[in-house]
Amino acid sequence: MDAIQLLLLSVTVFVIGAVASLLLNGFDRASRVIAGLIGAAASLIGLISAIQAAIRIPAPWILFSPLPFGQFILQMDGLSALMVGMICLLSLAVGFYSISYTGQYIKQNTGLLGFFTNLFVAMMLFVVTVENAFYFMVFWEMMTLASYFLVTFENGRKETVQAGYLYMLIAHAGGMLIMLSFFIFFITTGSFDFALFRQAQLSPILKDIIFLLAFLGFGAKAGMVPLHFWMPPAYSAAPSSSAALMASVMKKTAIYGILRICVDLLGGQVLWWGLLILLIGAISAVLGVLFAMSEREIKRILAYSSIENVGIILMGIGVGMIGIATSRPTVGLIGFLAALYHALNHSFFKGLLFLGAGSVDYRIHTRNLNEMGGLGRLMPWTALMFLVGGMSVAAIPPFNGFVSEWFTYQAFFTGSSGDDFIVRVALPLCAALLALVGTLSAMVTIKMYGSAFTGPVRSETSRQASEVPSSMLTGMALLGVGCILLGLGAPLVAPYLVHVISGTFDIPGAVVARGTWVYAGNPVQGVLSMPMILVLLLGLLFVPVILIALYGDRKAGTKTVSDPWACGYGYSDKMSVTASNFDQPISVTFNVIYALRSVVQKPFGAIGSWAKRMRDAILNAEPVLENIIKGPITRSVSYAGRQIQAIQMGDIRMYCLYIVLTLIVLLIAIFR
Amino acid sequence: MISATMFFVGLLQALVILAVAPLFSGFSRVMRAKMHNRRGPSIFQNYRDIVKLMKRQEVVSEQAGWVFRATPYITIVSMLLIAAIIPVFTSRSPFEWVGDLILVVYLYALSRFFFSVSGLETGSTFGGMGGRRELLISALIEPVMLLVLFVMALLAGSTNLGVISTKVATGQIPLYTSVWLGMLAFAFASFVEMGKLPFDLAEAEQELQEGPLTEFSGKSLALMKWGIYMKQVVLVALFVSVFLPFGSVTATSLVSQLWISVLLAVVIFFAKAFLLYFIVAVLENAMARVRFLKASAVTWTALGAAILSFVFYLANV
Repeated sequence: MDAIQLLLLSVTVFVIGAVASLLLNGFDRASRVIAGLIGAAASLIGLISAIQAAIRIPAPWILFSPLPFGQFILQMDGLSALMVGMICLLSLAVGFYSISYTGQYIKQNTGLLGFFTNLFVAMMLFVVTVENAFYFMVFWEMMTLASYFLVTFENGRKETVQAGYLYMLIAHAGGMLIMLSFFIFFITTGSFDFALFRQAQLSPILKDIIFLLAFLGFGAKAGMVPLHFWMPPAYSAAPSSSAALMASVMKKTAIYGILRICVDLLGGQVLWWGLLILLIGAISAVLGVLFAMSEREIKRILAYSSIENVGIILMGIGVGMIGIATSRPTVGLIGFLAALYHALNHSFFKGLLFLGAGSVDYRIHTRNLNEMGGLGRLMPWTALMFLVGGMSVAAIPPFNGFVSEWFTYQAFFTGSSGDDFIVRVALPLCAALLALVGTLSAMVTIKMYGSAFTGPVRSETSRQASEVPSSMLTGMALLGVGCILLGLGAPLVAPYLVHVISGTFDIPGAVVARGTWVYAGNPVQGVLSMPMILVLLLGLLFVPVILIALYGDRKAGTKTVSDPWACGYGYSDKMSVTASNFDQPISVTFNVIYALRSVVQKPFGAIGSWAKRMRDAILNAEPVLENIIKGPITRSVSYAGRQIQAIQMGDIRMYCLYIVLTLIVLLIAIFR
Repeated sequence: MISATMFFVGLLQALVILAVAPLFSGFSRVMRAKMHNRRGPSIFQNYRDIVKLMKRQEVVSEQAGWVFRATPYITIVSMLLIAAIIPVFTSRSPFEWVGDLILVVYLYALSRFFFSVSGLETGSTFGGMGGRRELLISALIEPVMLLVLFVMALLAGSTNLGVISTKVATGQIPLYTSVWLGMLAFAFASFVEMGKLPFDLAEAEQELQEGPLTEFSGKSLALMKWGIYMKQVVLVALFVSVFLPFGSVTATSLVSQLWISVLLAVVIFFAKAFLLYFIVAVLENAMARVRFLKASAVTWTALGAAILSFVFYLANV
């Protein structure tokens, strides 16, 4: 079958899975197994389609549409194929994971969760492949709606409802901006087809406006600062399996949107666009990681860390656009390569971390790091997976996060040698900021891993924790292996991404890998060999082993004592470092930024409360209409009812009288 | 770029740095003792300590997991790999086919990551506190180091440490003001990162019990100590290779009489390293300690110097 036919099949199977899960809503176990397995099968089909499309770009699939908004066109170019592959891989892992994970929602409409999850993935697949702005918006909104229901799934809690409301508000504001940008295209071209958008003759001002609208609209969904504040509550409220999908792939549909509109459709030839994206990216990265540091709740930390990573991706896109604008194709190529590589990596490690957080939540029902502790001994595999994800997000070699950050550094480096003064100033400073972000995100990871999985067990519930079921481990292991392979497989992944970029955008490709090396277009500028790093790290292990064999004394052995050293005093669990005090040096050192945060948050708080007042006003306005239109009708109906009631007096003789009277009336009517 | 000779030079470099690391730290201890008017230990005392610790029984808290057990090995291994990448004896990076300066910076992060997690893993108060201190210092220092190295890389046109080293050694990068300022900032950063005063003092046992080292004992402690000594020497070597590469074997003379020139380069490197250790020791012992939470007030100077160096680079002076 053709790649597009396979994609349609995959979407169909997802919808079947969604409907089946809904129909089986009453049967908890059946519905979650069906939803998970059909979702996984659909993901596999989608994955095959993505691989096919990556090998050979299929012809677009056009369905005549009865609506006057243009044709329903599906197209899988390199970028779309990459996105489809990414979505399907994540959905595969989450599908397995959720078979057991959703078991904790007994008699809580598990079927609905399966319904919305499968629908959500299906809609994402359409969003990244459709070639018509009208249908893009339709699927975009359906994706938003499905994710909204996922966020508010645990709707028993007040915070969840509020988080859902905030998410809805921002998502729709963003959606509106995107729609406006499409309308400007529509006014100029008279069509909603992306193919015509590409050839649109737009004045520079209009281009700028479209860019700003699209960037802000998609940026809100991607969670860039300052439109990020909906994200921590939403991710924290959603079930972990859904949060994993939202953080790892829904965000990437927004990145896809930025690339599609700002680079593909508009051409991205304006220098300040790239600089703006770079600036927003740098701010998001630094603030995201600093805010992550000050949180106590594991899923909120992960949400802030996603904001940081979107910042890094945006920095890559910014460099790429600067490269296009200053006609330096290599800079453009390496910038986009860094961005796409990091987007791909982020979807794996952030998905893995959310699943890990979900596993902890599944066993001990808390998201507060202060109540965890010592879980590494009780849930060793979950701990290991979490550590793999954590080391990837902290860009520790030889995991995948390091490769993409290496390419981001190389993008800064390649871009710094141009003629534009502002670019030469900005890029090295961004490199220094990225170094700061890297160390801080390592600290955030250590805080999460350290307080959840190591140290003493801090609560009674966590004492009884045990390893999660195998289906959850399978889901996590898929992503964990992905993190390792994307790191070690850099010499294969980087050329593929270059192929994607040169096939989608107007940028000539370049050689970025040879043997086990990857490099930024020019090996003299610096190379990196991920497989060699691993081989050498393992190989050099012989040195300490031999040293111990030479000088050590095997008879000395190891003695295990129950408590760590506490200066001779009795050890108490309270002596260990917890999440709350771990970040104290950071909050003291960067207190200026945290103070600024509360200042900056005020206007957003004001927007939020204004929106709440609007909603209240709308809620109050509704009864007014009701009183005018509905009121008289209901009143007269109930009045008539009361009058009719009068003849029902409950006396048996009166009823007999009614019967006799009716008979007489009928007899007269018949014989007259 | 891979050649058997360079592979062996790299291995040799790693092993020599491993072998001499306790000696340099011993020298530091002697210097400190002399400045305190004490007799002090022998310069070889660290070797004796390590050998003795290797033979001792290991005592492990039952909360410690595999991260704790793996940390000593990971520390040593990552330092060995860095030592093989940095151009110490030759002005080419022996393991340039593995990675560049970004990898070097992130290999430090690898060892630091495990160091801090192992501190938390034991549940020890001192381990956790020491771990988070280590991380804060690195968050303040790493941007400085990376910015300076980045400016040097821009001047050299490559992030390959060997290229930078060669170009500085052969004068292709003139000693601009920006290089001097960068050297200053980098020296300060290395000084802090080496765990010297003003914020850190490994011998302040009463306060932090040596941070994450508290819980290590026996052969693990021996390896950890060795790893930390190596980390200091490797930092000095990185500084030397970027800013003072003069006298090491250049790429052209490498082919003929290789081993003699390498031997000469080893001697030259030792001379430079001892000189730097001497300066570091004098500075360290002439300095008062600074409260840890005030660290940022001091490290801003380093960041300022690094940014100034960048500004001068932009202005081409």
